[in-house]
Amino acid sequence: MRFSVSKKSRAVAKADAGRERRRRRRRKKMRETVKLISMEGFEFVIDREAAMVSQTIRSMLTSPGGFSESKEGVVTFPDISTTILEKICQYFYWSIQYSRGKETEFHIEPELTLELMMAANYLHT
Amino acid sequence: SLSFKMERKTIDLDQGWDYMQTGITKLKRILEGLPEPQFDSEQYMMLYTTIYNMCTQKPPHDYSQQLYDKYREAFEEYIHSTVLPALREKHDEYMLRELVKRWSNHKVMVRWLSRFFYYLDRYFIARRSLPPLNEVGLTCFRDLVYNELHSKVKDAVIALVDKEREGEQIDRALLKNVLDIYVEIGMGQMERYEEDFESFMLLDSASYYSRKASSWIQEDSCPDYMLKSEECLKKERERVAHYLHSSSEPKLVEKVQHELLVVYANQLLEKEHSGCRALLRDDKVDDLSRMYRLYHKIVKGLEPVANIFKQHVTAEGNALVQQAEDTATNHAANTASVQEQVLIRKVIELHDKYMVYVVECFQNHTLFHKALKEAFEIFCNKTVAGSSSAELLATFCDNILKKGGSEKLSDEAIEDTLEKVVKLLAYISDKDLFAEFYRKKLARRLLFDRSANDDHERSILTKLKQQCGGQFTSKMEGMVTDLTLARENQNSFEEYLGNNPAANPGIDLTVTVLTTGFWPSYKSFDINLPAEMVKCVEVFKGFYETKTKHRKLTWIYSLGTCHLNGKFDTKPIELVVSTYQAAVLLLFNTTDKLSYTDILTQLNLSHEDLVRLLHSLSCARYKILLKEPSTKTVSQSDSFEFNSKFTDRMRRIKIPLPPVDERKKVVEDVDKDRRYAIDAAIVRIMKSRKVLGHQQLVSECVEQLSRMFKPDIKAIKKRMEDLITRDYLERDKENPNMFRYLA
Repeated sequence: MRFSVSKKSRAVAKADAGRERRRRRRRKKMRETVKLISMEGFEFVIDREAAMVSQTIRSMLTSPGGFSESKEGVVTFPDISTTILEKICQYFYWSIQYSRGKETEFHIEPELTLELMMAANYLHT
Repeated sequence: SLSFKMERKTIDLDQGWDYMQTGITKLKRILEGLPEPQFDSEQYMMLYTTIYNMCTQKPPHDYSQQLYDKYREAFEEYIHSTVLPALREKHDEYMLRELVKRWSNHKVMVRWLSRFFYYLDRYFIARRSLPPLNEVGLTCFRDLVYNELHSKVKDAVIALVDKEREGEQIDRALLKNVLDIYVEIGMGQMERYEEDFESFMLLDSASYYSRKASSWIQEDSCPDYMLKSEECLKKERERVAHYLHSSSEPKLVEKVQHELLVVYANQLLEKEHSGCRALLRDDKVDDLSRMYRLYHKIVKGLEPVANIFKQHVTAEGNALVQQAEDTATNHAANTASVQEQVLIRKVIELHDKYMVYVVECFQNHTLFHKALKEAFEIFCNKTVAGSSSAELLATFCDNILKKGGSEKLSDEAIEDTLEKVVKLLAYISDKDLFAEFYRKKLARRLLFDRSANDDHERSILTKLKQQCGGQFTSKMEGMVTDLTLARENQNSFEEYLGNNPAANPGIDLTVTVLTTGFWPSYKSFDINLPAEMVKCVEVFKGFYETKTKHRKLTWIYSLGTCHLNGKFDTKPIELVVSTYQAAVLLLFNTTDKLSYTDILTQLNLSHEDLVRLLHSLSCARYKILLKEPSTKTVSQSDSFEFNSKFTDRMRRIKIPLPPVDERKKVVEDVDKDRRYAIDAAIVRIMKSRKVLGHQQLVSECVEQLSRMFKPDIKAIKKRMEDLITRDYLERDKENPNMFRYLA
């Protein structure tokens, strides 16, 4: 069965960097989403849970001390293209579903394989 | 879709390291508490990415090894420039606080840096079999900071511990944090904690308590010293819970126990006025419980306490025995026997009292059960005023079970006493002697209808059976059964008489037939019975032959009872007498006056028996016969006359015959049985072993027989010789100390 993009993932394509998020009163609130920005500036807002499939992102999010409010959970990947980053986001969600028992195939376009592998290595996924 | 090739600019080592330095510097500023914002996700990822890129670049730009080294150097630099100087300038508690802070910081630094450098952990360290980043970081601290300071730190910690021991308040959380360093720095092993701290702490604790103990043992009473010891142990356990590592508990407790309780054990327990002996004497139950609690955990700690307990109980028991002995020698015969019964009661009370000690103070510990048992075995086997303990106990039972003995007590109280008596029997070595005395007295109770309560009779037999086995009680049970059968038999006899009126002897006759094996042996000799009685015997014999053939009846007249109607001047009185007494009195139906010799010839009795009989009828409470001369004792030249003037308030009186002293006979019978028992034991042992040495044979014999009695070694040797002459055994020709079984 072909994988279809989950409703939860949103791809927001904008030319400029993301909107400034409003500063909230409660400082220690656990963000439910993180924003991943590709080299071209495309923002992918995904669930925190999905993002943590990547060990690298997980390490960062669980570091002691916490992050400053305005930039929390926002990561730019200057070395990862939008296409790859999108595929990676899809992979995150597929991985979660798979671990919950929905055993489907994850299809990878052959031409993306190499870059995807390198990105996976980088992200420790 | 678009296809990109990931092209990155090669990062030069210096360039890359400069960037990393900014991150490291930022981290250091945060740790030092300087105003510095936290890392944000961008910065984090940048640092991570820098390392990642420098490690994944193609050679010669693959800088993994250099980065690995620079990672370590980052810590070393920081430690040398900042951490060590900060620690070196402080002392004591301030130094400890600084150390805790620096360690905590260090761990944070390791956490952060190892995340940035994380890519090295994934492949590089495994490929080169190097320690992982976490370990490298901790090792730096250990090698540079810990190794320099641990001794000084240990001294500071121990000083605070001793301060707390003296009652001062200290910062426990600080100590816990410091000691956690020793544990953590071991990186999975407890060696650092144990060697660099614990061993010194234990030495210090030992010497601290050694000093305390040496002064307390002089100043304090035993209970006070024990209270202090208990308190100290409690406090030391709390100390472990608050800041020491849990593994220190058993070691520390052992040291404290050793200094306080083991080193001075003797002095403590033997303290003149407050030691173990005194506590027992004064019934200081709480103090004794404490003593048990304290010494229970020490190897072989309870042995001296149990010993003193045993000595104390033995002394108390011996005192009771001595008391009874003294009373017996100073007073008349009947009060002496009362004293003996009092003794048994007191021994039971003593047992109850100290059993409570064993169960409650000494928590049912086997050592104390054993001590109590051994103590009782010592004094329970002493003789009092010529009576063995076996006899005393049997008499005690008799007094409870006979009519008029203990009617004031409730059934429950009686049951309880019987239970306790049977328990005492366990301590008596001559159990067979007890059995024989008991049997004799039981016979008297059963035959003369003196038993107060059938249920109690059966109950004690059940208890004896449980404790000593079926063989012990089989004869006694047979005796009780005989009585039941006798009642049935009597009914048949009366039926028989009803059907054969000609056979009726004209006297109400009740016969009890005993099964020989069950009952004690009785002498029976043929007294010349009066004619009326002869007829009775004949009639019963006739009846009995209709019931069973091939059985011989042997009449035991000494056990019979007779009711005579005495026609005295004032009023007729019914006399309840023994058959022998009746035989004497009936002679006076035909003659008014008879001499001693006359009676002797007519009845064919022994002098001993006749004197006894005549005494009971003429010199005791009821003078049925008048004796001439009216001296207090019967002599062979006396003569006797019917006392027609005799009268009494009652219409029926019982004229007792003082019982013959059975003690001698019982002892004789038991000795005889023992000879057979020893023979049987020797033969049984030799039959199974075939060949055995002298010593071993004797000791096995003693063991086998110990359930019933303590055999005399000389007696065993004698029996062995006897068995040799009877060709059951032979001595080995070469070794006269070896014996062989002859089939």
